[in-house]
Amino acid sequence: MTQSHRLAAGGIVDRSRTLDFSFDGAAYQGHPGDMLASALLANGVHLVGRSFKYHRPRGIVTAGADEPNALVQLARGARTEPNTRATQQELYQGLAAASQNRWPSLRFDVGALNDVLSPLFPAGFYYKTFMWPPGPRWWLKYEHAIRRAAGLGHAPRNPDPDHYQHRHAHCDVLVIGGGPAGLAAAQSAARCGARVILCDENAAFGGSVRGAADAIDGAPPASWIAACVDQLAANGDVTLLPRTTAFGYYDQNLVGLIERVADHLPEPPPFTPRQRLWHVRAGIVVLASGALERGIAYAGNDLPGTMLAGAAQAYVSRYGVKPGTRAVIFANNDSAYGAALQLHNAGVTVAAIADARPQAALFGDHPQRARADGIPILPGSAIVRAHGRLRVAGVDLVSLGGGAARRIDCDLVCVSGGWNPAVHLYSQSRGKLRYDDALATFLPDVAPQAIVAAGAANGKFDLGAILSDGHAAGFVAAARAGFAAPARHAAPAADAVSTGPLLPLWSVPARRGAKCFVDWQNDVTVADVALAAREGYRSVEHLKRYTTLGMGTDQGKTGNIVGLALLAAELGVAIPRVGTTTFRPPYTPVTLGTLAGHEAGADLEPTRHSAMHDWHVEHGARMLNAGLWKRPHSYPRPGESEDDAANREAKNVRNRVGLVDVSTLGKIELQGRDVAEFLNRVYINRWDTLAVGRCRYGVMLRDDGMVFDDGTTSRLSATHYLMTTTTLNAVNVMQHLEYLLQVEWPELDVFATSVTEQWAAAALSGPMARKVLATVVSIDVSNAAFPFLAVGDCELAAGKARIPARLFRMSYSGELAYEIHVPVTHGRAMWEAVMAAGEPFGIMAYGTEAMSTLRIEKGHVVVGPEADGRTTADDLGMGKLVSSAKSCIGKPLLARPALTSPDRWQLVGLTAIDGMIPRGGKLVADPGQAAPIPMLGHVSSWCWSPNLDASIGLALLERGRARHGETLWAVSPLADARVRVRVGPPCFIDPEGERLRV
Amino acid sequence: MSEADPTTIGSTAPGHYGSASTALFLREATIATAWNVHGDAGSASLRAEVQRIARLVLPMAANTTSKGEGVTALWLGPQSWLLVAADAAALGDFAGARDAVNAAGGALFDVSASRIAYAVDGAPAAAIMAAGCPLDFHPRHFGAGQCRQSLYGRVPALFYRHREPPDCTMLVARSFAHDVWRSLCTAAAPCGYTVRAAAPFG
Repeated sequence: MTQSHRLAAGGIVDRSRTLDFSFDGAAYQGHPGDMLASALLANGVHLVGRSFKYHRPRGIVTAGADEPNALVQLARGARTEPNTRATQQELYQGLAAASQNRWPSLRFDVGALNDVLSPLFPAGFYYKTFMWPPGPRWWLKYEHAIRRAAGLGHAPRNPDPDHYQHRHAHCDVLVIGGGPAGLAAAQSAARCGARVILCDENAAFGGSVRGAADAIDGAPPASWIAACVDQLAANGDVTLLPRTTAFGYYDQNLVGLIERVADHLPEPPPFTPRQRLWHVRAGIVVLASGALERGIAYAGNDLPGTMLAGAAQAYVSRYGVKPGTRAVIFANNDSAYGAALQLHNAGVTVAAIADARPQAALFGDHPQRARADGIPILPGSAIVRAHGRLRVAGVDLVSLGGGAARRIDCDLVCVSGGWNPAVHLYSQSRGKLRYDDALATFLPDVAPQAIVAAGAANGKFDLGAILSDGHAAGFVAAARAGFAAPARHAAPAADAVSTGPLLPLWSVPARRGAKCFVDWQNDVTVADVALAAREGYRSVEHLKRYTTLGMGTDQGKTGNIVGLALLAAELGVAIPRVGTTTFRPPYTPVTLGTLAGHEAGADLEPTRHSAMHDWHVEHGARMLNAGLWKRPHSYPRPGESEDDAANREAKNVRNRVGLVDVSTLGKIELQGRDVAEFLNRVYINRWDTLAVGRCRYGVMLRDDGMVFDDGTTSRLSATHYLMTTTTLNAVNVMQHLEYLLQVEWPELDVFATSVTEQWAAAALSGPMARKVLATVVSIDVSNAAFPFLAVGDCELAAGKARIPARLFRMSYSGELAYEIHVPVTHGRAMWEAVMAAGEPFGIMAYGTEAMSTLRIEKGHVVVGPEADGRTTADDLGMGKLVSSAKSCIGKPLLARPALTSPDRWQLVGLTAIDGMIPRGGKLVADPGQAAPIPMLGHVSSWCWSPNLDASIGLALLERGRARHGETLWAVSPLADARVRVRVGPPCFIDPEGERLRV
Repeated sequence: MSEADPTTIGSTAPGHYGSASTALFLREATIATAWNVHGDAGSASLRAEVQRIARLVLPMAANTTSKGEGVTALWLGPQSWLLVAADAAALGDFAGARDAVNAAGGALFDVSASRIAYAVDGAPAAAIMAAGCPLDFHPRHFGAGQCRQSLYGRVPALFYRHREPPDCTMLVARSFAHDVWRSLCTAAAPCGYTVRAAAPFG
């Protein structure tokens, strides 16, 4: 396939190599350096898509991020990506793209019926037409149909095969945009010694002068760009980021960049992320983001073959592509003459330049050169209508002074309505804009954050002015970041070009019914803007939402200023009074995967492993999440269900002995002379009576008297204590204690530190626990030598090794039990030693499910289900723990009448009389009575007790302690379950605690 | 060294992983003893006691460190320091030291096993740190002998420049070790990295 519209020379494409690609199934060729759009144009393809609402045929309009029409679906299997701007997608070997929003084909699209029926679809039609019949049911049906008829590409359905990276970065000066202004700014800032990051959305630096014929410092731009980039690359304090878009500007000069690491390749190379999200904290930002050209609305201004003049110029100079053979230029400013000259020199016939300005304004260098080259110039005229179906075939020109239209045939129309500085990021930084009458656009004005605009983004459009503005901005930025400028350094120079004034022109009046597009992507016309104004949408923000102007993926980069100027005209007010809509991130669309980075799937959040984690996994444990921790739920044997495994494990603890990993419990060490006093203040019970070598259970309250956390504290030396907390509250309790020590009671001599990570812990429980332990530890663990609630240091034999260990005689299961703590690095060795020692005694590892069953059988409360933030210690049956000899946090408010009422919900035990207690069951007296049925309480924990052979539970029940012996119903409307339960005390096994004291 | 499968990103076995370049080296920096000192920085008796135990002067300026014979002291807060020794002999008996520090009005906690340290050495080290940590690792802002506390990904981490930048050591809670190591390796895979055998901290 020949590239019919490729020029023999010129541009930045590499003609020595050829790349094959396809569009809608047809095979084409392009060159490295091409964008998909330039390669399509090189093959004479202009028709690339159908519009959003009216399904009108559309072509390539721009050569950059502002493209509203040329949005294609990249077919890459699971990597498929919709709405890719063909103007920014680099060509790669084998690229396959497809047009969007058409059926059955791009050339013949049934949806184009919408264009014929367009009187039915004015702005806001769905608010008007589809309001009947009332109610959401019908709207949902309409919406479904509307969504199918309108739209863009298709989201991928398969998991994303790529990975994405995040990168933090700091710099003194962040230069956004690597065109002439940005390069000059980066160069001068780097010369001052500042740390510079320079990013540009394109693969190569140089911006608008890539491939251009101008001269910088007397040389072609290419050599100036190359020298500049080489110099910057050689500076270790400069980071160059091509293919990188600054998409968002946040507080404290945090700027988000998307680096497209591998989007220019068929697929990312091994280990390489597809894209990288940069979080850049910049001392100061130089915004050299250039400017975006705007169109002029006239009838049929959306026909394929219609382009912004600057884009046509770029396709010729940058990519060596002729976008047409016979062109008409329509302009209100001098810049389009550059395009005309470029096209003319490339052999395109420029049939006419229709310039809205009078002859007297056409004195600039470029108009004079065009005239000298014999290009016909028609001052004071405009395109009133374009002809053609799938491609522009001709235009009607009129004199603005009046007279008949005159048709000129052409296959290319180049329009320039002026230039809008790309102020998006300036506005996102909360910088204010001002309207410039001469340029008829908004320019950066003042900003609360450290940002300076330079070059075209700052309203400079002459290359010499752009270079010197960028050069100066680099020095200013470096100086504000604290870096002095070198004694003398001249700005890069370019020949001055004399330019005539711009004449604001937003639209050309058309006959009724003709469509003059303001926003190509969302199919918003001049008539839609007028309709919105007539219907009272006077604010530009309302205009936007009513007409969808600027709400497409291009965010109205080409159409917004035109739209608000038209609104101003309709309202009869000045443009600055209408103002702009709010600019928000992202500047161009951002892939969600990049925002997620590595935090997806199994890496959604970090996970914590105990020292015994690998052992659990190797022994078949089913792991579950407990906060960030992974904990064994149970250890099912082959063919055994998880529930059966947990029941087996729980039974084994009551009958023989089991070992459970409790490393996840929070552990806080406290030291100082006043620890006992401190504990007295934070726990409800007394601590000044705790002897060295002993531990005690304690309960903490919140300020409002409700239970906050529970655990044990041990006294290791006269001044050294160890507190344990629940797994989930480990951090909260530490923060609570630190707050109290630093803010409330700094006078106390107490220091606290978390040692959760220091100790691996296992609980050895069951009647055989002592026998097992005695074979591995170096101390006497008889009841006399090491009684209930004793604490002591010892050595634990693990093979030939002696592991330093700390032993606690405490019980959660209600059986004879010990907790063994060893430094985390010895955790697995300790676990294996105890398991081996227990083998003759029938030891089994048990998981959290069995642990839970055992504690429910014992009536032990848990923070969460029972201590649910609404229960006091008394509600939970621990009122007697509240010491009368001292005060503590939360105690003063326990005397509130509501907290001492006999009607409070109190902890009870439940035994099912028939069936299984339902999960989350509510307690009622009679489920058969008429609704509303008074709820007396709820089930907080439930399990099958393999030791009682019964379905049991714990519940919070109104006047619960007075109801022992009653029969109630546990009902769950969700599970459609109702079960009779007998109320009793919460402890089902060994209420006197004889088993744990043996 | 070269027998490791370069595609097994996250393995702790010595060898080369990821892309072919060999400018980046990861290893565990082994810690034998780590004690957390708490107390009033202005207390002469506490400082003297620590000097006797660790043979170094506690660093008073934020985010700085000091070194004694085989012991490094890292500033963690206005009343908190971490003493780290790669050799257990460098710090001696804990209980006696704790009682002495308690008597001097401070506290001494044994956290020897709490943290794992990873040394990230070579030219891309700062970029690997920046993949997960929002701190500024430029030598002008984070020089040799300094320490900082921040996050790596979502995991709290203590960073220590054990020698001239860009090399850096990162200490994280041991329960997060597998997660952080994998994050480091994933960040390093595009530039390629070599896992070296563990070597002493410092």
